[in-house]
Amino acid sequence: MSKPTADWEKVGDRFYRKTQLYTDVFDQDLELENHVIAGAPYSGAVALYRDEDKLHAYRGTQTAKPTIDIYSCAGKLIRSLNIDKGIVKALGWSEDETLLVITTDGTVRCYHNLQNDFTPFTLGHSAEEHGVRACRFWLSGFVALLNNNALIAVTRYDEPRPKLLATPPSGDVASWAIIPPAYTLSRSVEVLLATGKTIYVVDASECEDRMLENGPFKHIAVSPNGNFIALYTDDSRVWVISSDFQNRLSEYNSRVKTPPKDMQWCGNNAVVLAWEDEVHMVGPNGAASKYFYDSWVHLIADTDGIRIITNDVCEFLQKVPDASEETFRLGSTSPASVLLDAVDLLEKKSPKADDNIQLIRPNLDEAVDTCVKAAGQEYSIHWQKQLLKAASYGKSVLDLFNSDDFVDMCETLRVLNAVRFYEIGLPLSYEQYMRLTPERLIQRLVNRQEYLLALKVSDFLRLPLNKIYVHWARQKVRSANADEESICKDIVHRLDGKRGISFEEIARAAYDEGRSKLAIELLDNEPRAGKQVPLLLSVGEESLALDKAVESGDTDLVFYVLLHLKKKLTLANFFRTINSRPMATALVEASAAYGDRELLKDLYYQDDRRLDGSNLLLTEALKQSDSQHRNDKLKVAAKLLQDSREHTFQVKAIDETQRLFRIQEVFEKDLGESFVGLSVNETIYKLIKSGNIKRSQKVQSEFKVAEKTYWWIRLRALISRRDWRELEEMSKTRKSPIGWEPFFNEILGAGNAKLASLYIPKCTNLTVPERIEMWIKCGLITKGAEEALKAKDMSSLEMLKNKATGNAVHEIERMIAQLAPSRR
Amino acid sequence: MAPTATLDASDITEKARRDLLQLLEGVRGKKNLVIEKSLAGPVGLFVKFSTLQEYGVDKVFFLENNNVDSTQRNVVFLARGEKARQVQAIAEQIKRVRRESKQDHEFSIFWVPRRTLVSDQILEETGVLGEVNVVEFPMYFVPLEKTVLSLEMDDAFGDIYLRRDPTAIFLAARALMLLQKSQGLFPRILGKGENAKSLANMLLHMRAEEDIDASSDPSNAHVHSFDLTPSATIDNLIIIDRGVDFPTVLLTQLTYEGLIDETFGIQNNQTEVDSSITGAAPSQPPPQQTSGANSQAPAVQPPASSALKRKILLDSTDKLYTQLRDANFAIVGTLLSRVARRLQSDYDSRHKANQSINELREFVNKLPSYQAEQASLKIHISLADELKKVTNGDLFLRVLEVQQNLAAGADPSTVHEIIEELIARDCPLTTVLRLLCLESSVSGGLRQRDLEHFKRQVLQGYGYQHLLTFAALEKIGLLIPRVSAGAGAYLNPLANPSGAATVTDYNLVRKSLKLFVDDVNESEPNDIAYVFSGYAPLSVRLVQCILQKPYLAQLTNPRTTPALNSQPSTATASGNWKGFEDVLARIKGPTVDEVQKGHNAAASQARKTLQGSGGGQVKTSIVFFLGGVTFAEIAALRYINGQLGEKRRLIVATTGMIKGDTAVGAGVEGRSFKTR
Repeated sequence: MSKPTADWEKVGDRFYRKTQLYTDVFDQDLELENHVIAGAPYSGAVALYRDEDKLHAYRGTQTAKPTIDIYSCAGKLIRSLNIDKGIVKALGWSEDETLLVITTDGTVRCYHNLQNDFTPFTLGHSAEEHGVRACRFWLSGFVALLNNNALIAVTRYDEPRPKLLATPPSGDVASWAIIPPAYTLSRSVEVLLATGKTIYVVDASECEDRMLENGPFKHIAVSPNGNFIALYTDDSRVWVISSDFQNRLSEYNSRVKTPPKDMQWCGNNAVVLAWEDEVHMVGPNGAASKYFYDSWVHLIADTDGIRIITNDVCEFLQKVPDASEETFRLGSTSPASVLLDAVDLLEKKSPKADDNIQLIRPNLDEAVDTCVKAAGQEYSIHWQKQLLKAASYGKSVLDLFNSDDFVDMCETLRVLNAVRFYEIGLPLSYEQYMRLTPERLIQRLVNRQEYLLALKVSDFLRLPLNKIYVHWARQKVRSANADEESICKDIVHRLDGKRGISFEEIARAAYDEGRSKLAIELLDNEPRAGKQVPLLLSVGEESLALDKAVESGDTDLVFYVLLHLKKKLTLANFFRTINSRPMATALVEASAAYGDRELLKDLYYQDDRRLDGSNLLLTEALKQSDSQHRNDKLKVAAKLLQDSREHTFQVKAIDETQRLFRIQEVFEKDLGESFVGLSVNETIYKLIKSGNIKRSQKVQSEFKVAEKTYWWIRLRALISRRDWRELEEMSKTRKSPIGWEPFFNEILGAGNAKLASLYIPKCTNLTVPERIEMWIKCGLITKGAEEALKAKDMSSLEMLKNKATGNAVHEIERMIAQLAPSRR
Repeated sequence: MAPTATLDASDITEKARRDLLQLLEGVRGKKNLVIEKSLAGPVGLFVKFSTLQEYGVDKVFFLENNNVDSTQRNVVFLARGEKARQVQAIAEQIKRVRRESKQDHEFSIFWVPRRTLVSDQILEETGVLGEVNVVEFPMYFVPLEKTVLSLEMDDAFGDIYLRRDPTAIFLAARALMLLQKSQGLFPRILGKGENAKSLANMLLHMRAEEDIDASSDPSNAHVHSFDLTPSATIDNLIIIDRGVDFPTVLLTQLTYEGLIDETFGIQNNQTEVDSSITGAAPSQPPPQQTSGANSQAPAVQPPASSALKRKILLDSTDKLYTQLRDANFAIVGTLLSRVARRLQSDYDSRHKANQSINELREFVNKLPSYQAEQASLKIHISLADELKKVTNGDLFLRVLEVQQNLAAGADPSTVHEIIEELIARDCPLTTVLRLLCLESSVSGGLRQRDLEHFKRQVLQGYGYQHLLTFAALEKIGLLIPRVSAGAGAYLNPLANPSGAATVTDYNLVRKSLKLFVDDVNESEPNDIAYVFSGYAPLSVRLVQCILQKPYLAQLTNPRTTPALNSQPSTATASGNWKGFEDVLARIKGPTVDEVQKGHNAAASQARKTLQGSGGGQVKTSIVFFLGGVTFAEIAALRYINGQLGEKRRLIVATTGMIKGDTAVGAGVEGRSFKTR
């Protein structure tokens, strides 16, 4: 076994290693130099496209049709996409392995999940007019540079909203780069444009000149963490500066006349320059290392390193991780390195193994941790095993040790080794795997149709399996040639009893393939009613969709279906559809009440709901300001109900309404005051208040207002107009239908105690103490005392005495005296 | 993953706050905020206006006012997206601003609580979808108190009962689902009423769907699949359909808080009172307000709040209010004077001779809290004074007389005269309607002759437009004609195949659940009936059927108690309707009782063992009022919680606060036949 340090190289004071991942990557006939290449993040797929700008030998007709070919890192062709129109200007990947293809006219196609079909969107009018020149991508978006130097940013792909950034100055753009939103202060994407001798920083609102003088810069590259920028100057130097343009960190002179074809970051601490077959890696402080190849080289930057691809090999260049360096560096005396040595000795059955352990005893736990970490960084299975053995040996010596990390690492390595296998071609580093997450790794496997491996890995990592099944079923629906019934049967049979299967997704795949019947059949197995709705609408099963929407209980869905139905069906059919579904009818009523009154009218007419129809007319009458129109509406409202016996009350009330209007209009003419809008009682009140007693009595008799009610209204009206004379007159009446107490209360409430007191003797139905209370309220203590005297109530008299002042005290004393002897 | 944490209201508040601020942060630069009126209050409960300003909000507009200006490039709308009207209003405003303004605008819409298909469709049809940034602000429950969660949907009552639009029920199910996700499944779902049934069904349904949703939704790809086990802390969910118990809403609430709500109205823990009553708001915030009491001050001040009104915050940050809120108003005066005396003596203690420096320091330290208490005492004394004026009024007493008679089950015809008088005296329409509805609710509808008589009176007294009001009230089921044919149906439960009565037989239920307690003690409450001075709310009695079986059994039938009392442990532990099935059959609407078990029985069993047999644990019951809850009911439930002791926690959840005026008001026709 070769030493793990064999592929290490010291650059400055750091070690870098170049791991050979795969050999014989591409067919030797493939002219890499004539292709544009784009690699998905986290060791994902690689897309190749024939560069239109370069000359190529005429090869007959088979190359006439341009394609984009998607390969795995090991060079296995996954898919070939036909580009039938437009000139491809840029290729890029998003985090979830969606391929983005942008053509000159600003059309963006998103190829999800490495499939053939895509969702398009456009960058807008200006892109169409001026044409796209180039694009730069980050994990979840991209920026397009147009030929007029305008910049358009797209920050999400599920709902793309192309946004124009601030306008940069015109002039030739020598090179450009972006800083992803996550790494900028403003949290929106920033673009670095090298124009003339300087660099402009452009974001959504402004374009700022950074005042550099060493341009034009041939290349700009931003480090993965957004902290550093590498610039390639005209005099073939590389500058590394901080991204706020404040510090220059290192400089390197390549001494090559021709500018490199590409410059990328390798992790966050080295910059890689590539010429046709030569690669320079520039570490910190300008130290560099050079690699030479036999054929054309492409660079694909990743978060923690860089992939170098030629026809023959695919290599991964990265800084040696700290744990590995600590363990393997020549002459290292770190505990981990000693522990590794110990396990070697142990295998040779040498007693020195224990000496080694004793040597590092105090730091043994640390050594175990480092070995576990280093194992994760190794690509060679031999060394992985060796390191894990060392860790295992070390932890067996320790008394207390949490083995969780060790177990996790063993599991992780099993997964990593499985997917690194050349037939799968996902050479994930440990770092990348952590960022990618196991769930998305499964998604990638599924996208490559490695269902068996995906299932096994999911099972091994205790992840849900349902998505894998669904993906399988969708693929089956797309590709199977069997008749629809057997496909459906097969799928349902295989997925029977599996948890969390979304049949809606499978059905949608079938629908997209144009197999509507199959889609409906599959949809029938979907347990979520709501999810079935949109697809059912698409295949034209409206009433079924309505049923499912109602079943889901989600009113939004019901509304959605109803809107759809209303557009599609005739009114009669629409009503027939909703008629048997009360919830749908209720929702139509509720929403139409605020807008579409005509619809509501038709609905009530159709359903023969006369009372509702009549009420609707009433609300319309309420809205009318013109009396003629209002009366018309009321007449129709009454007419609707005329025939049925159960609504006689309603009809009578509507008639009365009209009668009231007529009489009120007469009053308005006669008295010059407004009456319409008042109720019957209010009309009487107003009439009495303005002294029109005769008229008020007419209203009373006309509308058969009860005598009691009339008296109450009269009382209130008189009080409000302070008609004490009239009220005094009334006190002389013999009888009141509402009794006399209200008179007392209301008049007293209005502040006329004297008048109120007139009514006290009339309240004959009240008890003596109550009447005494009334006298007190009027401030007539003596009167109250008289009342008490009459009733021979001694205690009340005493109480009154205490309340009394001045003359009244004597009066009451006299009465007490008067009462006292009779008691004796 | 193990949902062991107890349900904490402050978590919900904190999350809503964080979500909103994060969304605001997502809109770069200064922005104008356009908010739906009914959302301004709830939002104000968890975020202050000054905080919004820190997050770049320049000006706040009400959506309903349609007056957004173009001063800022960014315009953010915050609205509920369930109703087409709101969406259209937003679309129109966007179009208007775009037309009038010279500069380019960035529009964002935050839909509460979710983005709807309908809103998308309408925005698309009006041609604005392409240029607005649409996001969801998933605000469901808003905690009003630690134990009161509200969805704050003002229209919920009208939607559910008048328009039969189940949106509120669906959103309630969503909200409860979110609770289940964080707390674990409700082990048992109990409930009463038509809508309670559909809510429970939706919950069961959603749980089944959640399985698939969680895994097929790409956004939560790395969340483990939704595998719920029954909650260890929550015992059950009790759903009370408001439709089961209208009378409780219609009666005048007699607790302090209830009366404030009835008289001045309480909105989002705040009441607005004429400043002549309490004195004008201090120009500078008094010390106690800066020290936390004001942390929930309104975020969104209405632009021109009338100068004569003063807003008063009513929640548990006010210590004095906590003591007063649930007390019957009859004893509030006594309580207040007791507090006043104590405060006086505390304050006077500074005059004590030979105090040490330490004692003095202690006193000085307490000084701010004295001042705070004094300020709040002052407010509550003036509030109580004002309420006293109302409760001593002739009208109030008349109304109360009718209510007490009806609640006690007296012959309704005895109160007809008073109701007629009230109409003649032009007392507020809602008050009259409340009484009529109350009579209808407790006696299974009004006799046709009486109903028409009162309809005539009301039409003549308040205007003929109220024909529509009556139609609406009948639809809600508040004011209905008595169906004589139905009388036979509930004598024979077997006649009704569903087993659920369609009309509540109040006379029977009153007796068997003792809905009216004659010897109620208001100062030292001995039964929940104290909140209405005699009437015990049916809704709360239903809760007692589950949680306080022995007590209720003893109360309703003192002689046969031993039978049920002998095994109280079995009766209370399971939390079901057992023992009260007969009564429930006489109350309208179906009865709900569902047990939820986890997929993995072994796991839930294991968890149970791990946590002990639940002996030392506080068990939570959630009481969900579908269609609204009154303050009096909350007071009654707090009283029950006090009786149940430390081992149980009751949490009240609801679609919104309600009182009689709002319930009846849902049906009242607001317009009149005026010539303009």
